[in-house]
Amino acid sequence: MTTQSVAVGPSRRKRKRFQFTDRHLPLLLLFPSVVIIVLVIGFPMLYSLYISFTNFNLTNPKVIEFIGFQNYITLLTRDSQFWKAFGRTVLFITLAVNIELILGLGIAQMMARLARGKGLARTLMMMPMMFAPILVGFQFKWFFDAQLGLVNNILYSITGQSQLIPWLIKVPLGFISILVAEIWMSTPFMVIILEAGILSLPTEPFEAAEVDGASGWQKFRLLTLPMIMPFIYTAMAIRSLDLARAFDVVSIMTGGGPANRTELIWTYVNRLAFNGKEFALGAAMSFIAVILSLVFTYMFFNNVLKSRWTEEVEL
Amino acid sequence: MSAQKRVSRRDFLKVVSLTGGAAVLTACATATPEPTEAPAVPTAPAVVGKPFDGKTLRMHAISGANYDELYKLIPAWEEETGAKVEMVFKGNGFETDKRLVQDFAAGTVDYDVAWDHSSFFSQYVKADGLEPLDAYFSTEDLADFIPGILNAGKRDGKLWVMPRHFDISCMHYRTDVGLAGPPETWDDFKAGALKVTQDNPGVFGTQFAGKEEALTGRFYEVLLAEGGQLLDDSFMPAFNSPAGVKAISMFSELYSAGAMPPDMTNFLWEDVANQWVNGLIGMYTEWYGWYSYFQDPASSKVAGKFDIARQPMGDGNIHSGWAGHHGFSITKASKEKEMAASLIKHLTSVEGNQLEAKLGILISRQSVWDQIIKEAETSTDPLAKKRLELAVLQAQEDFRTPPLIAEWLPLSNILYPILQQVILGDTEPQAGLDEAATKVEEMMKGAGY
Repeated sequence: MTTQSVAVGPSRRKRKRFQFTDRHLPLLLLFPSVVIIVLVIGFPMLYSLYISFTNFNLTNPKVIEFIGFQNYITLLTRDSQFWKAFGRTVLFITLAVNIELILGLGIAQMMARLARGKGLARTLMMMPMMFAPILVGFQFKWFFDAQLGLVNNILYSITGQSQLIPWLIKVPLGFISILVAEIWMSTPFMVIILEAGILSLPTEPFEAAEVDGASGWQKFRLLTLPMIMPFIYTAMAIRSLDLARAFDVVSIMTGGGPANRTELIWTYVNRLAFNGKEFALGAAMSFIAVILSLVFTYMFFNNVLKSRWTEEVEL
Repeated sequence: MSAQKRVSRRDFLKVVSLTGGAAVLTACATATPEPTEAPAVPTAPAVVGKPFDGKTLRMHAISGANYDELYKLIPAWEEETGAKVEMVFKGNGFETDKRLVQDFAAGTVDYDVAWDHSSFFSQYVKADGLEPLDAYFSTEDLADFIPGILNAGKRDGKLWVMPRHFDISCMHYRTDVGLAGPPETWDDFKAGALKVTQDNPGVFGTQFAGKEEALTGRFYEVLLAEGGQLLDDSFMPAFNSPAGVKAISMFSELYSAGAMPPDMTNFLWEDVANQWVNGLIGMYTEWYGWYSYFQDPASSKVAGKFDIARQPMGDGNIHSGWAGHHGFSITKASKEKEMAASLIKHLTSVEGNQLEAKLGILISRQSVWDQIIKEAETSTDPLAKKRLELAVLQAQEDFRTPPLIAEWLPLSNILYPILQQVILGDTEPQAGLDEAATKVEEMMKGAGY
């Protein structure tokens, strides 16, 4: 007893006793989830980060040696294929996001103006999103097949020329083919977000513009567009994140080939880490790809904050 | 304030740490299982005549196509031994390989018998995942197996895989497109393919599976026939030789001449088979395994209109046939290796081979070959006997596996995109092969060769 009283001491007795309040309850309830998320996501991420600094190779799994930044240096300074895949991925994201935006904006404008059949139109428009990306890949692989594909058959029916166009093989047709598949699959997402933005706009500025004699284009350029910019940037941020990890469709249609002609970062990661058994290099490349995603996300979300519409917009 | 409860910080921390600790323990239990321990085998009183009575054998197996038929023999083995077989995994060859590689790397093997393949087993040996089979199979047990096939499962002087069945490349050629006969050499093959293309609008002279390991393997067999080698005796690349240049130049010249389908570099096994059964190809090198599909008029436009032949020779004066076999291995982690060996003996028995032979699969026992060739004499299929005689001849003389190294797939992963570049005209043959050789050499040195 004596020991206990000495250990507690007068200063500890003065401390405020912890009180469990309603404020603490959410923390307690969230704690197990946080622990599980840390273990399921945090631990594997940290482990793969560690792997990226080793020479771990699946053909020799007993040997794991720490080699510092060697994998990153190899990728950034010696692997020309990596830079090509990186550049192609940036181009892929840029083109896909912008084309989807233009198409999405146009379709969303039309959808917002539909007086009848809106529900049916929305359902039809959302159909591409209902397909698994792998199915979309197979579908477009068949569309662009040189011998049995739909596109060449249509061209043959229209023009009568029997020259087989190897869409998935030739440069830049292979790249364009996977771009088309990706755009077809994901434009509906843009439409949903942008239509929601358009429908949420106040009507007063448009009525005022109408009274002032503004044309349709002026109303779109000077009112609609500035006011839905936060929606546009949010949609672009989400899509660029999606595209930065594009894999399924590309993998099925071309596998990144032939001769690396359609290789994107994630098909290259797959080829290196799983087919080539270079797990550590694959992990390093994955982290570089994550940085790419972060750059695009930061860029777009930064613009979301800047573009929030306020009452100060000049009409 | 009335909603507040007075709980000491110590009590609060106790609750939190207990919850967290339980979550950590649960997650750790599933994330990092104990390495390579086969599950405890339930014990049961031994019964005379049933050597493994009450025991359970766990098996990691290939599935799909005709592979599952053999497993119909398992109940008989269970009856005979008193043991039970539990399938812990079933998937296609590549899925099974991927899972095995990961299990051996992570030390999570909890099965006794694993499907294996001559092209892949070296990875598992290097990962220290397999048990040598020599102690479990006597010379007498092995005497009936075709030596070339058996040897394809050996490495470092030890037997690691018991062969179940095999396949080997064989020249398939149409008899209705003006070909005088099968090509004797790869030069004849090239000339014949160009002629077929010219004389038969809508038909391509030939084709190859054009990506991944499939393309590397096809290049490999032509390279060998032309007198080249993939790797030299010290396991360094040797494919950028004149023979290698000649081999890949043939692919490239045929492609640029329009004698191969324009999508060919996107083709895998099913794609080339589909081209063939649709009557779009004059001749090509293919596995025997597709035969019944090709000869079925319901699925094939070329049924009854093709013949088969030994692979062409090249400047090396050999008929090389890219070959491989499926088989079974015992895992090092197995606690019941005798029982595992017993099941493998049962599945690779004469009875097992007979069952697979009926499905048209090329089996590994000479005695069963002799038997089915004799039976084929009365078959109405014009190629039945020839096909079997040719296959067994090739198994005896032309059987060439890829180098038995763990790095076969990584090597292929480096080589095939460059072969594609050459075929598509993105790079010159010598320059492409030199670039591939440099990368392969670096990879092999990194792997300790």
